[in-house]
Amino acid sequence: MNMVIRGARLVDPSLNLDTITDLHIEDGLIHAIGDLSGLTSEHNIDAQGMLLCPSFVDLHTCLRDLNQIQKGTIASETQAAASAGFSQLCPSPDTQPCSDAGSVISMITSKAQAAGFCQLLPVAALTKDLKGSQLSNMEALSRAGCIGFSNAGHDIGDNTVLLRCYEYAATFGLKVMVQAQDHALGQGHMHAGPTATRMGLDGIPVIAETLSISRHLEFMQHTGVSGHFNQITSANGVELIRRAKAQGQAITADVSIAHLCFTDTAVQGYSSQYHLQPPLRAESDRKALIQGVADGTIDAICSAHQPHESAAKCTPFAATATGMATYDMFIPLVARLLQSKQLTPQQLVAALSTQPAHIAQTQVPPTAVGQVANFTLIDLQHQWRLDADSQVSQGTNQALNLQQLTGRTRLTWNNGQISYNR
Amino acid sequence: MSNLQLTSHGELKHFLTPEGLDRLMLERILDTADSFVVVGNQEVKKVPLLRGRTVVNLFFENSTRTRSTFELAAKRLSADVLTLDIKTSATSKGESLLDTLRNLRSMHSDMFIVRHSDSGAAHFIAEQVTPDVAIINAGDGRHAHPTQAMLDMLTIRRHKGNFEPLSVAIVGDILHSRVARDQIHALKTLGCSDIRLVGPNTLMPNSIDSMGVSTHTDMDEGIKGVDVVIMLRLQTERMASAFLPSAGEYFRLYGLTTERLKVAKANAIVMHPGPINRGIEIESAVADGPQSMILNQVSYGIAIRMAVMSMAMSGQMQQRQALVAQPTNTEAQV
Repeated sequence: MNMVIRGARLVDPSLNLDTITDLHIEDGLIHAIGDLSGLTSEHNIDAQGMLLCPSFVDLHTCLRDLNQIQKGTIASETQAAASAGFSQLCPSPDTQPCSDAGSVISMITSKAQAAGFCQLLPVAALTKDLKGSQLSNMEALSRAGCIGFSNAGHDIGDNTVLLRCYEYAATFGLKVMVQAQDHALGQGHMHAGPTATRMGLDGIPVIAETLSISRHLEFMQHTGVSGHFNQITSANGVELIRRAKAQGQAITADVSIAHLCFTDTAVQGYSSQYHLQPPLRAESDRKALIQGVADGTIDAICSAHQPHESAAKCTPFAATATGMATYDMFIPLVARLLQSKQLTPQQLVAALSTQPAHIAQTQVPPTAVGQVANFTLIDLQHQWRLDADSQVSQGTNQALNLQQLTGRTRLTWNNGQISYNR
Repeated sequence: MSNLQLTSHGELKHFLTPEGLDRLMLERILDTADSFVVVGNQEVKKVPLLRGRTVVNLFFENSTRTRSTFELAAKRLSADVLTLDIKTSATSKGESLLDTLRNLRSMHSDMFIVRHSDSGAAHFIAEQVTPDVAIINAGDGRHAHPTQAMLDMLTIRRHKGNFEPLSVAIVGDILHSRVARDQIHALKTLGCSDIRLVGPNTLMPNSIDSMGVSTHTDMDEGIKGVDVVIMLRLQTERMASAFLPSAGEYFRLYGLTTERLKVAKANAIVMHPGPINRGIEIESAVADGPQSMILNQVSYGIAIRMAVMSMAMSGQMQQRQALVAQPTNTEAQV
């Protein structure tokens, strides 16, 4: 296919590029970049005011499927990811059945391949069935294409087991990914703060996160494992990561888009759409997370996409399933961060593309002549309404459902193919 | 939250929490309850306000006192009363709650009295399940127990009058108390400015001072010169779950004794939501003494429940009439 995109703002941190330009794609390759006003094409896109950047890599997402097709399928959720500008996804190992066996991994990846929207770089379970007692077949899983090992939301209580997980991972140079939250202190349903107190909901204190980060930093230091922290939520958590990095520890961290955009007050009125694990925290925490992304303490922004069927959110708050479907509102939230100048386009694109790619040991081809087309084009001004007709994900837990939103993906190219085109 | 409890004309249609209701509304509840206190003293204790209405007591959590006072209140209002004890397993409670409610709604019930162990359960039912049935919250998790708080306000008003000059101490397990939160909301709305919470840090909720109260770990300091001492019940399982070392130590530090009560004003009243643990949070001499309002609270409880039930039913009826006048699809919300 022959396509010319005219007047887009091209931001590619890998090339240190931020320029308004035209782009010519032919047969899935970037044929030319620059002033192409003389060029005619069968497909012309007027991209004035739009952002063109390398496609995104998601370090934490849940694609459901297998035994959870009522929540979403790999086809529906990878399509939703493509509609949010993603091309490569690291699905969390808390699948059903659990991602602790090569057979599960190959089933997931082959389904994604058949659907054709995104490539998967699976994260495998650190322990069998995430139970925290037996090591998973890490080496074999790594050969099967898993880029990291995580116990997802299941904290490993036994330090002996955890030490062996780290030692075994270190043997083969494997990456350990951590959702840092102490099990016992993490039993509540939202951030321990004034809103939780008012609503009579059990709180999860910040120390549930900081204790766990400190503990894992010790294990990483002790074993020399390259560790990654998923979904940091608190100012104190950011500070611990910042300090560890300053001391030269080889660690990385991400934050979810929800934690960058919402706070615990969103839960007021028992709004179960904002029932998340780890929980949304205070405004001061949210600001520290933004600052963490801006100064590079936090390397990446993930979707933490978790689609659910409507019944999962339709009970009293504490009993509702945690998580939100974020792919459909991902770009509007990114646009909000840009519009309010909380983050620059360069910071955002780096945290969504080049940096997570590096952590996932993959690459997003640079937006340069001769390279395969692998970018997303975002219309930051597009106004639309999120509803059952416009959403792509199967998840009904859309926090911004029925709201008028600004910002939407126009087009995503993945590896020379168009994976989303609106 | 206020919109959910009120009709478009500002009338009460559900009673979930005093939070978000204005002073006028709380005073109307108290005034209405005052008139029902009189009914309770008459030979024939029934009034026909809820005749022909079906009230369903839905207790997902055990309760004897609250359930029986609600039942009595409904009967004194001449309603038909059905009381259901529903034991739920932790895993299926969400689904059975939805299904139970939809079934009961199909039987044309007019009012649900709901007690549930999850905070926000009554709110959830009012908002999402049965918006056209009046919901009275009889206790949800740690969140709210508004009729208990309002009967406490009635007790204070009948014995102390105006709320503005009063100092009120609430002592004990604030953390697990759904009553304390509602008492704070109601006291503040009614004009009380000196509200003190007394207890050890393990039983004090995070950021509670954001609700405009002062916190005290020292009992004598906390109740010094107060007009009202509200003692909260201490659940014995708090010791097993490491909130407190022992009942003995708790009583020594936070138990209300005749001696300690002397620190409060000489005419201070003592309240307790019941059932009381004699010798753990309160000494028998105080519980049965002249300053104790504990038994008055129980009889005022019936009056308060009659008041909110009749007011919420009247609000619901007005709303239904408005809907009949201007037909819309009420089923769509279910």
